[in-house]
Amino acid sequence: MSVINFNIAQWRAWAPGLESVDDWQAWSRQPVVLERSDAAPDVSFLPAMQRRRLSRLARMAFSVGWPLADGRQDLPLVFISRHGETPRTFEILSDLATDQPLSPTQFSLSVHNAVIGLWSIMRGETSEMTALAAAGDGLEHGMLEAAALLDEGAPAALLVVTEEQPPAAYSAWIDDVPFPYAVGLLITPGNQWQLSLNSTSQALSKPHWPHALNLLPTLLGQQTTCQHAWKNRVWTWQRNP
Amino acid sequence: MSDLHTNSLMLEIKELIIEALGLEDISVDDIGDEQTLFGEGLGLDSVDALELGLAIQKKYGIKIDADAKDTRNHFTNVASLAAFVTAKQAA
Repeated sequence: MSVINFNIAQWRAWAPGLESVDDWQAWSRQPVVLERSDAAPDVSFLPAMQRRRLSRLARMAFSVGWPLADGRQDLPLVFISRHGETPRTFEILSDLATDQPLSPTQFSLSVHNAVIGLWSIMRGETSEMTALAAAGDGLEHGMLEAAALLDEGAPAALLVVTEEQPPAAYSAWIDDVPFPYAVGLLITPGNQWQLSLNSTSQALSKPHWPHALNLLPTLLGQQTTCQHAWKNRVWTWQRNP
Repeated sequence: MSDLHTNSLMLEIKELIIEALGLEDISVDDIGDEQTLFGEGLGLDSVDALELGLAIQKKYGIKIDADAKDTRNHFTNVASLAAFVTAKQAA
């Protein structure tokens, strides 16, 4: 069994219509799939010339990450998205399929580390940043990365998990994004939280909601533990009293 | 070429710039005919240059040689772009 310890100093989450702690309290008590929506979070804290190219995925990442990074410099970032900028990829592929020239903006911002690049430019942040695309347990893999950064001496690490609603053409293959969402965690050294990894040979049932959303009831104090199984990996989150 | 034609072409190019580059807070009245587009002036960057080049090629069915020396001059401002489009379409 492997264990990491840490504190979650602050967190933020966003989904269409869900923004405040009260919104998430209510959702966590009775989780439902949200209606399809084009709503994007407010990122008016960024200058208009800078935010104009941001996709909803980038806006979600910025809206949860920015307030957590407020007043902090040298804050390493772990960005996690399993599917990434699927709407941009789909547009590029559609243009290719019809022999249309590709949009340089779409192309340059479709790569997986585009968001951390934008983050670095807009914040003047030169700390280590990582963009991960793991399986369904990307949240936990990102936590390992954040714990490693703390272990190397970082006073804090920012973790942002976000997923965009994929275009309909992908619906036969992508079934783990019930609605667009982003969760940001500001991780600091400490022992308030524990994440442990066990392996199992049994087939365990996957959680109904993506791990980052499934963690919310524990973040909100509605429960003290949370277990996420993915393939043969069993992750247990424990919040110490 | 009439002034009327030039003016409507310049207006069209301004609308194209706003739409293709996502300049949500800017209207056509905010872009001067002779205002520098890149760097200073409107403050567009190199990705904008590529994106605008693509939008102009698509809209006016013309070919732009990215490596040609004078291409940079054509993209100086809206007036130079309008002159470039007119010349290309006449060619």
